[in-house]
Amino acid sequence: MSVRGTHVPEHLRLPIAGVTPPPTEKDGQRLFPTGNFRFFRPVYKDKTPPCNHACPTGEQIQKYLDYVKHGRYLDGYLTILQDNPMPSVTGRVCYHPCETACNRAAHDEPIGIRGVERFLGDFGLNLAENPARQDLPPLNGQTVAIAGSGPGGLGCAYHLRRRGYASVIFEALDRPGGMLRAGIPAWHLPEDVLEAELAKLLDLGGIEIRCGVRIGAPGQPALNELADRYDAVFLALGQDVGRRLDVDGAQARGVIGAMEFLRETGLGRPVTIGRRVLVIGGGNTASDAARSAIRLGGGEATIVSLEAEHELLIQPEDLAQARDEGVGFRPNRALARVLTDADGNVRGAVLADARLARGEDGAVRPEITPGTETEVPCDTILVAIGQVQVLDCVPGEATERGLIRADDYGRIPHASGRIFAGGDVMRGPSMVVDALGDGKRAARDIDRVLSAEPLRPDDPVEVMPYEKLNTAYFRHAPRTEAPQAPAGTRRTSQVTEVTLAYSREQAVAEADRCMSCGVCNGCDNCYIVCPDVSVLRDARQNGHYSIRTHYCKGCLVCVQECPTGCLEKVPEMDFDEPDAVVRMETAFAPYEGAHAEQAPFTRQLIEDAIAEYDAQRSKSINPNGQGVTP
Amino acid sequence: MHHELTVWSRGIIMDKEARDVSTCIATAARNLGYHAENVSDYVDDPDRTNCLVRRYARFADAPILDRFVYENPHPDWVVLVEETIIKAVNFFRGTPEGQGVLVINSARDPAYLLKFLPAPMLARLGKLVVVDATGLAEQRGSSPWMFVRDLSELAFDRMSTEGAVERLAIGRGIAAPLIGALVAATGDLPVEVVAEVVADRDAMIRGAKQHTVVEYAREH
Repeated sequence: MSVRGTHVPEHLRLPIAGVTPPPTEKDGQRLFPTGNFRFFRPVYKDKTPPCNHACPTGEQIQKYLDYVKHGRYLDGYLTILQDNPMPSVTGRVCYHPCETACNRAAHDEPIGIRGVERFLGDFGLNLAENPARQDLPPLNGQTVAIAGSGPGGLGCAYHLRRRGYASVIFEALDRPGGMLRAGIPAWHLPEDVLEAELAKLLDLGGIEIRCGVRIGAPGQPALNELADRYDAVFLALGQDVGRRLDVDGAQARGVIGAMEFLRETGLGRPVTIGRRVLVIGGGNTASDAARSAIRLGGGEATIVSLEAEHELLIQPEDLAQARDEGVGFRPNRALARVLTDADGNVRGAVLADARLARGEDGAVRPEITPGTETEVPCDTILVAIGQVQVLDCVPGEATERGLIRADDYGRIPHASGRIFAGGDVMRGPSMVVDALGDGKRAARDIDRVLSAEPLRPDDPVEVMPYEKLNTAYFRHAPRTEAPQAPAGTRRTSQVTEVTLAYSREQAVAEADRCMSCGVCNGCDNCYIVCPDVSVLRDARQNGHYSIRTHYCKGCLVCVQECPTGCLEKVPEMDFDEPDAVVRMETAFAPYEGAHAEQAPFTRQLIEDAIAEYDAQRSKSINPNGQGVTP
Repeated sequence: MHHELTVWSRGIIMDKEARDVSTCIATAARNLGYHAENVSDYVDDPDRTNCLVRRYARFADAPILDRFVYENPHPDWVVLVEETIIKAVNFFRGTPEGQGVLVINSARDPAYLLKFLPAPMLARLGKLVVVDATGLAEQRGSSPWMFVRDLSELAFDRMSTEGAVERLAIGRGIAAPLIGALVAATGDLPVEVVAEVVADRDAMIRGAKQHTVVEYAREH
């Protein structure tokens, strides 16, 4: 409205009209607050991305992918170290539940998170200084005993150290690492990588590993002694004893447990096997054993499984690699008996058609079709039909069907209340990252017990589903598969790594595909689309932006256009902050009562105009009734 | 008797509701022999979705002689068609101390709503009437943004926003319970007489019966 040439009455003259900067300029919104105008208020509320939720250690995957995307590798590495002490290990051997949960799978293909993790892990191992030493608290004088130096024990020791506790790890084998060394072949996890990760851990100070100590063995400390001598105990014994076959000839020379086979090769001891190897079992151990056997014997290895091909419990990428390397498969077959020669050596096996069935207790019960037996010649039989652990050292009431029985916090029944368990020995054969997660959880709970805090379950989290993302913002981009060594090369070497690392460009490209599900990554979209300049970048409410609530009209364009779904609409009336309410006062009422007041000046103007009009009309009206136009 | 009713609402999406409340009150008052006026909003833009808009009615037993005044200078009846307006504006400008009747369409606790009124506004509040008009209205349409109306009706409604004739029945939807609560809580107009000019009579009666009154001025 132009006021030029108009007489503005005194009371309507605005002290700021004409000089007030428009809202898009600095401070305009502050001078003309439109107040609480909305039904809904946009609120930045970060959710948990599905990858983060699926990871047993709770790695903040979205966060470190974002760092990698921006070339901040050290920040990314430090982010991983908050949850996982050994990204170089998990970046190679993890069965990546994160990638299985990745929302990107619904969009095109899941992100190669494991490859990026490995990239960061190797980046960290190559640093001149150990960044894990940063910000470590001083030791508080309390020491925790840990049984087992596998991922569970190491993870627990690491997280205890981060909380200021020292720990002593007792390892039954003569070298530390547990399953990482004695179960996972070197072509999955090179020994130097494991050694480097171990050195990084021991470098923190306060962590001691005593090898060759088997808890409860004759001449070795018993569990109760540990409980008395240390402030708490964590049992991560693992499961490294292979289940025995229950068929004729199982005692023959040449029938070897796959676990024992992998352990001996992992520890670098001489192992002799024949050229024709049968591996009994349908899981990852069978696959690892068969592939190691090919590398060792240079011959052929065949996996005999009750499972049909589609039922095999082998990780898909491992299965494909095994096929590339020439591992044979005989699905839906069972070993009926072992054939031996006169010296008691294996000379073959009798296989029969079979089907995987389970008894009422969930145990595997092969259903063999009678009359289908066929003889197969072989020199060695590797048995990979499951693992157990000897639990003599644990009180009887704390065991159940070969596993340690614990409460929801992993605490076993014991008078001290300070003995925790985790990893395979509690949950059965599972992933390295499960054990790492158990170690992390146990460290937290041990800390709580020792600080006389109550144990409590994790807070519930809201996991971001794919459907709530604004997927229009994400271009389809194919996943970069991690490169692999040629099958011919790796068939002949026990140490040639099968899966190779991403290059820096590949890692950045892969991290760039992250949709940052439910977490603000500062994309500026809300800042750009807000028609009212109410999204601010100067006062950073969520680390990135804040909403100017005195000016936001609640149009919710920002919520609609938030790619990651971290912006939510919350009903304005739910905000119970009466003191924060700013009411709009229109420019037409600069003071109380002015909005509808008829000022004496205005009234006089109107009255004068009416009187003038009336006078003119009465003058121009002819008394004879004839109107005259003036 | 002289009453001024100001209905606060939001442009387009619930402008019809505000219009219907003021139209019905003015019409009923005139039918009862009072001098009455019904005024549209000439100050704010009533054609902007979600903007605060006002509708005015006033009635008195003497002629209303204000000229060129298109707002109520001293509103003693105030209706908020939507609850968040309680945070948005000082709707008690010019209201005589302790005499304001405030009708809010809300399902919330009156004590919670009162928290948002600052002391100068509370000084003018005589009576707080809380009615869940959205819940009491005949449920039609699907979008909560349209207050139980659908898009095609909203398109019709948009044409009548700026002073054209009403294309739809007057006094239905959430307007009906709001009128009922206002009339019953103030008691100056007989409910039965007002009900005659309200299209959705049943919902109006529901509003007249189911509302909460806080006699604020008397209790404080």
